[in-house]
Amino acid sequence: MTAARLDVSIRTTLPGFTLDVAWTAGDGVAVLFGPSGAGKTLTLQCLAGLIRPERGRIVVDGRVFFDSATGTDLRPQERRVGYVFQGYALFPHLTVLDNVAFGLRDRPRAERSGRATTVIERLGLGGLEGRYPRELSGGQRQRVALARALAIDPALLLLDEPLSALDRPTRESLRDELRAVLTDWGTAAVVVTHDFTEAYRLADRIVVYREGRVIQSAPRSELLWQPASESVARIMGTRNVLHGTVLKATPDRIQLRWRGQTLEAVNSPSRAYLPAPSSPIAFFIRPEYVRLIRKDRGAPDPNHHMNLMSGTVVSQTDFGATWTLAIRLDEPGEPAQGAYDLEVEVPRLVHEILELDRDRRWQLSIHRGSIHVLPA
Amino acid sequence: MTAENLSALALSLRVAVVATLLNAAIGIPLAYVLARRRFRGRGLLDLLVTLPLVLPPTVTGYYLIVLLGRRGWLGGPIYGLTGWSITFTWYAAVVAATIMALPLLVRTARAAIESVDRDLEKAAFTLGRSEWRTALEVTLPLARNGILAGLVLAFARALGEFGATLMLAGNIPGRTTTVPLAIYTSVQTGETGDALVLVAMLTVLSCVVLIAAARLGARAT
Repeated sequence: MTAARLDVSIRTTLPGFTLDVAWTAGDGVAVLFGPSGAGKTLTLQCLAGLIRPERGRIVVDGRVFFDSATGTDLRPQERRVGYVFQGYALFPHLTVLDNVAFGLRDRPRAERSGRATTVIERLGLGGLEGRYPRELSGGQRQRVALARALAIDPALLLLDEPLSALDRPTRESLRDELRAVLTDWGTAAVVVTHDFTEAYRLADRIVVYREGRVIQSAPRSELLWQPASESVARIMGTRNVLHGTVLKATPDRIQLRWRGQTLEAVNSPSRAYLPAPSSPIAFFIRPEYVRLIRKDRGAPDPNHHMNLMSGTVVSQTDFGATWTLAIRLDEPGEPAQGAYDLEVEVPRLVHEILELDRDRRWQLSIHRGSIHVLPA
Repeated sequence: MTAENLSALALSLRVAVVATLLNAAIGIPLAYVLARRRFRGRGLLDLLVTLPLVLPPTVTGYYLIVLLGRRGWLGGPIYGLTGWSITFTWYAAVVAATIMALPLLVRTARAAIESVDRDLEKAAFTLGRSEWRTALEVTLPLARNGILAGLVLAFARALGEFGATLMLAGNIPGRTTTVPLAIYTSVQTGETGDALVLVAMLTVLSCVVLIAAARLGARAT
């Protein structure tokens, strides 16, 4: 890992809420992800110097922005932080050009308009210089806000829910565009979002917030495949989060009992988790990693298929490109998730080939690498 | 129109213009501070500024005499040093009109300033602007219509001020007799014909002012 460009540790108390977080980030984009009210925006405001935390330390590229131990507290004007506000906060009485040039007042006039024009062109806003914010589309406003923040050549770029003000199709295309801009400019950035897809698309590192605390900070793929706990998995919207009992745990395998089945899962090689036998354990199974076995293939080969079980499709939902099936296992007792035990996602083509509309009873197999254990 | 009425009209306009300028100089910073700063004594300041709106004008005038009169807290030492007192001069009419008009400007301007999105100010801070520059370049320009509406109302109030002016400046024809005082005098002495012209003029002026303030207010939102 590269040296931390961003080292944040802050604690502050508001009526009915305590923010107490510590995390670091290297090059690229760090996404603060979590439900609303978790303290993400408050963190951004502390980074920008708009709110003074009670205690802590904020260091950006070796510059100390804030340190309660030494009494250091740079004013927002001195931090050179580009802030893209949730509603963009464009100055309604100024044109696009004047908005973008707003932070360049201390530079010579020629350099000022040159710099503003360069940034405007680079963000594809050429031709809109004379427009007022009310005359722009949502996507254009977002880019003007980004241009205004980037124009000051910021040490750090902060974006608060940069896409939430946009309608869905615009949001999806701008998400990838924003990722490209952030990569292109190479400015360290912190993005706040409560949408996991957005977080995953934009992030190099994801910092998961919950109720004023950080519950995991990890590179995005690690977060996706190794959530640190059940609450991280739930905040990410992970499906099929289930509870079983440990039978046996070794550094590379965990055997567990769930709904009358004995399942075998791979233990994480990087951080082996060794719970005691018969202790409760949470795990999840990604719906797209459950295999449906066709009956005409004959008896399943236990060497190829593992964690075999059988069940009935109790309901199915059409999502266009995919179908989601709710499956109830052939086991007595209450299903694990209300009316069903597992959600299974299949591509539309597979749904057609397997004639899932006609056939309700299936055998399932789950590779041991697709059962992810969640440390307690 | 009689010479007295003309001089009353000229005096009223002069007093109202100066009082409005003073209102702008005192009231806009006051409105900004009340809208955006949290400090000890803020509630008290707010109360003091607003009080003339609800107190009988004669009571406000009485307090002004206590403060500025020949034996007043401030007026006494000034009289002792210079032998001059503000009472019964047209400056006194200006002071009375300013104090009476101030709450109208401060309340209107304050509401306009409070309605400016704070994120705009925060954005200006991160872009290097001090609070002072931010107020001048962002907050006040965006609150402009509300502030102008407040100034228009303050002007109208200053033009029509009667009670406090009478208390502090008296009713000296040619020196401190403003239009409202002239109207009062005319009615008292039975010369109603003279007063009618002034009544009509103030009525029309007030209508114009209300329409202007309403238009500015509508554009402010």
